[in-house]
Amino acid sequence: MVNIRLARVYDLTGMQACNLHNLPENYTLKYYMYHSLTWPQLSYVAEDEGKIVGYILAKMEEDVPEGEEPHGHVTSISVLRSYRRLGLAKRLMIQSQEAMATVYKAAYVSLHVRKSNRAALGLYRDTLGFTVKDIEKGYYADGEDAYAMRLSLKHLAR
Amino acid sequence: MPPAGIPPSRALPSKESGLFKEVLHYYEDRQLKKGLKTADVILKKFPNHGETLCMKGLILTHLGRRDEGLDFVKQGVRLDLTSHICWHVFGLIQKGQKNYEEALKSYTQALRFDKENMNILRDAAHLQTQLRQYDHLVETRHTLLRLRPQLRQNWIALAVAYHLSGNLTEAKAVLEQYERIIKNVPDYDVEFSEILLYHVRVLEDLGDYTEAIALLDASAKERTIIDRVAIMEFRARILSKAGKDEAKQAWQGLIEQNPDCYDYYKGFLSSRGIDIDAVTDENRSKAVQSLHDFSEQFSKASAPRRLALDIALGDEFKGLLEPFLRTRLEKGVPSLFADLKSLYRSPEKREIIEQTATSILSTLAHPSTDPAPSETDPTEYIWTLYFLAQHHSWLGRHKQALELLDEAITHTPTLPELYMFKARVLKRAGDPFGAAKCMDLARTLDLQDRFLNTKCGKYRLRAGLIEEAVEVFGLFTKKDAPSPSQDLEDMQSLGYLTEEADAHLRNGNLAMALKKYDAIFKVFDIFEDDQFDFHGYSVRKFTINIYLNLIQWEDKLRSHPAYVHSAIEASRILVKVHDEPSIAAKSNGESHLSSAEKKAKKKAKKAEKKVQEEAKKASNAGNEDKGLEVTPPKDEDPDGTKSLQAPDPLERAAKVLKPLATQAKDNVEAWIAIYDVAIRRKKYLQAIHALNSAHSLDADSPELHIRVVDFKRRWSSLEEKPSEAVVTAASAAITKLLPDEVSLEVFNSQYLQQHSSRADAILAAAKVSRLLGAPRDEVEASVFNVLNAEVDLKLETALASVAFLNEIQSPRADEFREAARGKFELSTLFLSADELAAARKAVIQKDPVAEALEEKAEVIS
Repeated sequence: MVNIRLARVYDLTGMQACNLHNLPENYTLKYYMYHSLTWPQLSYVAEDEGKIVGYILAKMEEDVPEGEEPHGHVTSISVLRSYRRLGLAKRLMIQSQEAMATVYKAAYVSLHVRKSNRAALGLYRDTLGFTVKDIEKGYYADGEDAYAMRLSLKHLAR
Repeated sequence: MPPAGIPPSRALPSKESGLFKEVLHYYEDRQLKKGLKTADVILKKFPNHGETLCMKGLILTHLGRRDEGLDFVKQGVRLDLTSHICWHVFGLIQKGQKNYEEALKSYTQALRFDKENMNILRDAAHLQTQLRQYDHLVETRHTLLRLRPQLRQNWIALAVAYHLSGNLTEAKAVLEQYERIIKNVPDYDVEFSEILLYHVRVLEDLGDYTEAIALLDASAKERTIIDRVAIMEFRARILSKAGKDEAKQAWQGLIEQNPDCYDYYKGFLSSRGIDIDAVTDENRSKAVQSLHDFSEQFSKASAPRRLALDIALGDEFKGLLEPFLRTRLEKGVPSLFADLKSLYRSPEKREIIEQTATSILSTLAHPSTDPAPSETDPTEYIWTLYFLAQHHSWLGRHKQALELLDEAITHTPTLPELYMFKARVLKRAGDPFGAAKCMDLARTLDLQDRFLNTKCGKYRLRAGLIEEAVEVFGLFTKKDAPSPSQDLEDMQSLGYLTEEADAHLRNGNLAMALKKYDAIFKVFDIFEDDQFDFHGYSVRKFTINIYLNLIQWEDKLRSHPAYVHSAIEASRILVKVHDEPSIAAKSNGESHLSSAEKKAKKKAKKAEKKVQEEAKKASNAGNEDKGLEVTPPKDEDPDGTKSLQAPDPLERAAKVLKPLATQAKDNVEAWIAIYDVAIRRKKYLQAIHALNSAHSLDADSPELHIRVVDFKRRWSSLEEKPSEAVVTAASAAITKLLPDEVSLEVFNSQYLQQHSSRADAILAAAKVSRLLGAPRDEVEASVFNVLNAEVDLKLETALASVAFLNEIQSPRADEFREAARGKFELSTLFLSADELAAARKAVIQKDPVAEALEEKAEVIS
């Protein structure tokens, strides 16, 4: 059965494997470690009998200009194709957002998506309620533009 | 006159002394070119000034002139053995080479001459952590705290050092003192919150549950611990450990926070006296009722419904299963079977699942000639066929599975999942070529999806089509990488590296297989190294709990299945090379490359050259800092032959296997591999230990049987006798596995008799009789026994039998192959060589329909 829980250190290689299977943006393990060891509350996994089938890798934005509110950022979120239609992405996102708001007082959460990735855009906009804030020209290594998207977390503030 | 205590050889006149200070400043500001010039000015007058030589060496290293730099540093150290600067520089260089042991020695020298240098002490602490020298670490951290008690991190670092050394009581004492003296903590301070959570963990680990809860509750109330989920999890867990009634409430709260977490239900039920993994008839209905209540409360959560299926039995199970299946089939949840698979351990549940799914299908199916009844949902129909196909395939009924899938594909020819699973069925049935072709069809139905693409590449590798696999992987790897393989290796894709190594091994290319296994070992070396920076980072960030988990994980790093598998396979290759060195000489990659492969290689070389040229251009920028870390040299052995021919294969094998003795000690194969290497290295006690370990895990293991005989034969014909102590110990141990009075022939036939219906045992016994010198026709005849009707023959054993018959050049190998072909009707693995080549070729021959689809999709994207 699929289990949603906080990411632990021994999940990181599984998250990396899941990411490599699914997405074109990949990272070395140290980058996952960096996320988890800096913001240990923000990354979650979906696990089925020990196998990582989905994850959210998240952080707080580090260079926030003076006077601006702190905010969270989703570095990567992904669910294996064979585990779709269970609402896992949404469940993962909700847990991470809660932690961003309560632990770090994040006002909103941001993320980037490839302009051509219609499936992901649909997920973020229609299922998760993000809105497009901006277009970042040539954001990706191959020159593709990114939509910069945002979702307010004000409703979670306490 | 130099100041007191400075040796004359180090003292410089005031002008040069000022220049030396400038060198230090330039280095710190990374003005490397200026630093180098200034050092040269000093050296012109004082060519034997050790500290300047070391600084020059350090700067040269940063500028990328590593070898030259190292020479200067070594020379400098020799000329001034009592300078902390010289030793510090030497330590920095060794640290950059990741030679942590030597680096720590240099730092220790440096500290002899400058006992209170904070930078050196801190670096030494990181090295001591990396090398797990925790007692020394405590000393170093103590010194740092004494020197700078006002620095918060020094307190925490000392507590962590105590913790790592196993002294939790002292860790607790340090934390308490720290919390007493710390002032002006801002509200909602994440760092302080993490420290308090760490303190709670220490108390929990010490078993001081009352104190732990008190600190947790007080901190939660004062809002000094602000991580709500952590508060709840710690609370529930500790209350449960303490056996408190409030635990139930605490778990309930967590379930409300996240109703999809299995651990929370487990905790909740255990607080009600129910062990979820061992439900009894007395508490079964209570457990099901609890889960039912949660299902009502959280209508969208899957976990309580799924857990109830684990616990309920008979009619109750049936009643819960029907709606569970139905809602998910209607929605088309592809993971439904994967979710239920673990229930199949119970034959009763397996039967009920089959009945229920079949009866759902019968309400949906209709004769294909009739128009579909209007109320029939096509989604549910397709996904029920898909589910049942998975069900039958899991139970080994491949034909039935394929029929259901074909029915579904006829109905909906555009759903990739159907082809993906058909590919899997074919793979399981022993047709890797059909499987690869089918997976390619799935891929062409959604070319934007890397998941399908990865699967397709993997299936091509399984079919031995390595170049074609890399080509398809390359559709999603970085375009600026030297090659798709390099990108996947740089991104540490253990899955890809393992599959490719295995594919080379199956294709008989030992050199390339070993090269890829070596790449996996390198990835693990990097993983091990990755922790280094966190020894300093985490105490600055105060995220101690997760840092301690990192250390624990690193200590067990090589228990990862990819490492274990690679170590075993690589050691087998190396043992083969040791036994028959001509294999390595023969394995010349180029000779059996196809023209396409040669072309691809040329292309890769060109790309590599381009990357190097660009790197060269970048390095000409001048003052650029290359850092101290050694960058990997370029690949001088692209086809792996040099590595395969390298000396000391057994020592290399022993090195990669070493972690398995502690980190894979429940793995029989690992012990067998350890034995094979130890016996050849004449490490008799280690060999015996491996046999005993394998024996205690699986006394009937066929591979173990072969090794016991192997040991006895080698032992009785030793030319050089080991020491008396070894002889006594080994003789005593082997007698337990194989009594002295039993001859090897009798031992072998006893084994065969005991396992006469196990195909792998029959094959092992045949191998042993060959070893004992039985005539070939006799050995052949015993191999043929695996084909007997009462023997349960698996595909792998059938293939191993063919391989063995070929190895002994049996004239009956073809006869066996034909017979196996009859037994595994769907399999293509027992085709003749010509037929195999044709089947392989057919995989990549494009289907005109698929090709048209692909072109269309390319236009869209």
